Amino acid sequence: MTKQDSCPPAADCARGAGSLARASYPVPARIALSALFLLAAFGTPAQAEWLLDITAGATYDSNLTHAADTPDVRRDFAATFDASAGQFFAMTGNDGVTLTANARGESYVRYRGLDLAAIGASAVYRHKFGLGWSAPWAALTANGSYDRYRSELRDGARFDVRAEVGRRFTESVDALVGMAYDRRYARNGDPEVPGIPGNVFALIGQSAYFQAGYAISERWLFSVNGAIRRGDVESTSQQGTAVFLASSAIAEDPAFHDSRLYAYRLRGTTTTLGATLSLALNERSSLDLRYSYASTRSPQDLEYRSHNADLLFAYHF
Amino acid sequence: MRNHWRIAAFALVVAIARDARAQTAEIDATVIDQQGRPVADAVVVAMPSDPNVRLPAKPRDDVVDQIDKQFVPKVQVVAVGTAVTFPNNDHVRHQVYSFSPAKRFELPLYAGVPAKPIVFEKPGVVVLGCNIHDWMIGYIYVSESPYFAKTRADGKASLTNLPPRAYIVHVWHPQITVAEEKTRKTIDVTPGAHAEVAWTLDLKPEASIRRAPVPGQGRRY
Repeated sequence: MTKQDSCPPAADCARGAGSLARASYPVPARIALSALFLLAAFGTPAQAEWLLDITAGATYDSNLTHAADTPDVRRDFAATFDASAGQFFAMTGNDGVTLTANARGESYVRYRGLDLAAIGASAVYRHKFGLGWSAPWAALTANGSYDRYRSELRDGARFDVRAEVGRRFTESVDALVGMAYDRRYARNGDPEVPGIPGNVFALIGQSAYFQAGYAISERWLFSVNGAIRRGDVESTSQQGTAVFLASSAIAEDPAFHDSRLYAYRLRGTTTTLGATLSLALNERSSLDLRYSYASTRSPQDLEYRSHNADLLFAYHF
Repeated sequence: MRNHWRIAAFALVVAIARDARAQTAEIDATVIDQQGRPVADAVVVAMPSDPNVRLPAKPRDDVVDQIDKQFVPKVQVVAVGTAVTFPNNDHVRHQVYSFSPAKRFELPLYAGVPAKPIVFEKPGVVVLGCNIHDWMIGYIYVSESPYFAKTRADGKASLTNLPPRAYIVHVWHPQITVAEEKTRKTIDVTPGAHAEVAWTLDLKPEASIRRAPVPGQGRRY
């Protein structure tokens, strides 16, 4: 079996990425314009509710490289910023659409190649099955963004679509479950090995997830979340037989200032468990501590784990 | 001579007014919580202890606003038969509803002032919600007695113009942990007197849906 034969998804990814790369106009402009068009099209002032959300803080990732072996693991802190603005349209008492445009940024302490600036848009349709806060609801969400990194290997557009159902059981307890399909397009990545594509960050995956929240008091909220994702993952590590055999795309990864490190696209199953402790400062802002643990298993017995912690300030208007 | 008549008429009016005041009484209520802090928005109701007393029927119009996606006031007291309008002073639409046995109703999604007020014919507590903004919660206390008041931020309230007689007074608050009946006290008020009554309430944490944001969890509406 050749390397190319073992990689049907990669072929798709490569084609998808290639067609996107050929598109002459930047995706960000198209996303932003689409968002503005949708906002303008629905913009009836008497019915629309303006939304503004800002989140800023610091994040720590214990395994930025998603590496299985300790010598390849790189960890770092980053400052993060996320802002979104948009409108909510209540079409009926049970149906609403939220359209937002957003901008996101990350700035790392050591690995500046991972510094990120992204813009995107989001659309959510939500239906409530009945009257009152305890009525169950379902939502369909589409998110799209264009991510630009200082190290351009990671540049590209991404989108995901989600379907969720949820319910508030008491004033203090609510929960949701959902499924997602995500796709990321890679614009760059020179092939390192003949016949093997270099667009490592062209990734496709499907997830199932849950989230449950408990308001401990008027100000404190504790929530847990978990997800299982199957699909393409990226792992940066030194060359090795196992990772080579498991990979469907390979490229040199300059983001970590180490010429021995290569980025590999693998198939894998990622299990994520997380928890958030949120302190409401007032009705419009909160201070949040978020932790998540992720474990990814790939063929050839490759497995990597990461811990992620965020300290965030969130404001909404 | 004309001035004398005027002075006499004025004196007569003052005398009648003073007499009328002397014929009524007041109850000054104070409500604090278990930590000794004043409790605002507690509803104090005085009901004549003699069940044969005929209560003056004084239904009137009242208002519960919606401002900044909150009900204002959060607690409203009205007499049985009162018609309440729910003007929406926000730039967004609301859908006000209640499932309470004292009054079930729904105002479909609207902006501005709804065409018809809601009439509250049965005594009891009516919990209000908005189907668009789940954190919005309000209360209408529908009182069988026309003698009621709501405590201010200092935990005090005055029930004025009460006909002198014996009353059973009781208190209610959205966070009260005991049945309203258990707060009953009997007070005999005499003409022109200021009776005082006080409660220390054991309050539970407010059962409200959080409005503050949580990063990554989006808006649930």
